[in-house]
Amino acid sequence: MSSKSSRYEKIEFLGEGQFATVYKAKDTQNNNNIVAVKKIKLGNRAEAKDGINRTALREIKLLQELHHENIIGLFDVFGQKSNISLVFDFMETDLEVIIKDTSIVLTQPNIKAYMIMTLQGLEYLHSLWILHRDLKPNNLLIDHSGILKIGDFGLAKSFGSPSREYTHQVVTRWYRCPELLYGARLYGTGVDMWAVGCILAELLLRVPFLPGESDLDQLSKIFETLGTPTEAEWPGMTSLPDYINFKPFPGVPLNQCFSAASDDLLQVISGLLRYNPVTRLSASKVLMLPFFSNPPAPTPTIKLPLPATCAASLAKGAQQLKAGIKRKREKELEMGGLAKRLVF
Amino acid sequence: MAIVPHDKVPNQLSISWFDSAWVPHLNKDNVLDYFAERSNPFYDRTCNNETIRMQRLGLEHLENLTGLEYVLLHHQEPILYVIRKQRRHSQKQVTTLADYYIIAGTVYQAPDVGSIVNSRLMTTLHHLESAFSEALSFSRYHPAKGYSWEFKEEQNKSKKQKKKEEPGSVFQCKRVDTLLSVLTTKFPPKFVQVHPGEQPVPITEAAPPKPEVKSEKVVVTTSTVRTAPATRPNPQNIQVKQEPKTQPEKRLKLM
Repeated sequence: MSSKSSRYEKIEFLGEGQFATVYKAKDTQNNNNIVAVKKIKLGNRAEAKDGINRTALREIKLLQELHHENIIGLFDVFGQKSNISLVFDFMETDLEVIIKDTSIVLTQPNIKAYMIMTLQGLEYLHSLWILHRDLKPNNLLIDHSGILKIGDFGLAKSFGSPSREYTHQVVTRWYRCPELLYGARLYGTGVDMWAVGCILAELLLRVPFLPGESDLDQLSKIFETLGTPTEAEWPGMTSLPDYINFKPFPGVPLNQCFSAASDDLLQVISGLLRYNPVTRLSASKVLMLPFFSNPPAPTPTIKLPLPATCAASLAKGAQQLKAGIKRKREKELEMGGLAKRLVF
Repeated sequence: MAIVPHDKVPNQLSISWFDSAWVPHLNKDNVLDYFAERSNPFYDRTCNNETIRMQRLGLEHLENLTGLEYVLLHHQEPILYVIRKQRRHSQKQVTTLADYYIIAGTVYQAPDVGSIVNSRLMTTLHHLESAFSEALSFSRYHPAKGYSWEFKEEQNKSKKQKKKEEPGSVFQCKRVDTLLSVLTTKFPPKFVQVHPGEQPVPITEAAPPKPEVKSEKVVVTTSTVRTAPATRPNPQNIQVKQEPKTQPEKRLKLM
């Protein structure tokens, strides 16, 4: 146990969440790789009595079995005294930071690249019958080479058993789909897909697409923008537990909301933001849409924009690396200069 | 899928567009927004300008992007703006695709030389051809006399057509008025006063004509006119001393 905690050397404090504190650390037993160590807080006594925190347990349980380029990698879990720490890929930034950085323009190829990576990760998750249930820009992490990985599996859960009911109090409100807002207890991949639709819209507009102030306001925001659904459009809507009748809104045409979006992109948005969760497109279906095969091609990950702060720190790192190489070369010259001369 | 079939789009050179709600407020800062109106057929919505607009960012980002963009090339407020459509390859390299000019709020695409020559040739040929066919319709042949001309109705026709004359738009009238006033200040009209001893004739007559009134307004602000009233009693002297012969007149109108 103690050997494991000494294996990771703390570099700096990164942040503190509700359940955990995160540090940047290097893995001394693996080439000094940079990793993120998430130290789970034990919580208050009542919680501690039940053992460790549920979200941490979910993360450990699920992530140990997930291996995909676009899912955050869990390298190691170790305990120390009464704490539990999880060791993850170190991620430079997240999509929320990028969306809020006004010095970056998100072009269509950039957006396409982000969407492909998100959808591929999600396709993998859903194929293993796992729902993420908390997709938002903040949880889409991006590493130094621009690769996007889905993170924070604190709310993730396996789905598909018909008798098991789930809580509808999941997903951050702005990204929550109408069936959850109406209190549905049996739901599927649609909840994640709606969230992806909202994230795509946010990438285009650079502001949250449907920023509701309460659950009720969230519903009215959705209906004002996309039009109030009818029973014909969404069969079964009226029988949902918390169904409320809304004043019918005509909605705003999508091409007015997203003035610069091409038709194939609008097709993606409308596929993701369908009211009926049954007809809402799945990750695999969305990836098959023409938008992802039409030109322009998605930006290669390495060329995706990084926020100014990250770019600076990365450049510094690269310089150090270069300097190291230079020094090495100089050494080589000193050592083998003569020999080389003889060869020529 | 998204690619718009170009053959279905009407020839851009033969259309124009304007939005009367915008026209009175046009200036060099909002002319690109005017150009980006949804109904403008010349505006390609997939351009970088629109991406930036949608993301609520500033136009300064344009230089760092590659692809289609629109820039304001030249402006001569409030009448003329020239907007260029170009493809940007890098920060310093751009290829011009088209120019658009906005005259009095109406947007036109500037034609290329090929289209101009083509159009002029076509017009010339058309007129020549119709002239020939018209001429042919008046020629007569008689076995005894040979060929001869026979004109009849054609004179009446031309008279009728001449009567139709379109009145200019409000904008045109205004524009012409300002042009006239500029002209009159540049080249002040000479009033012929035959006898220097007589009363300045145009006191009453000078008021009605419109363009002159306007020109007067402009000149009133100059200092020479303001000093003039001191020498009012004998305008004849002024005429001798000072070059512009209009001065006594203006002064009188001021009263």
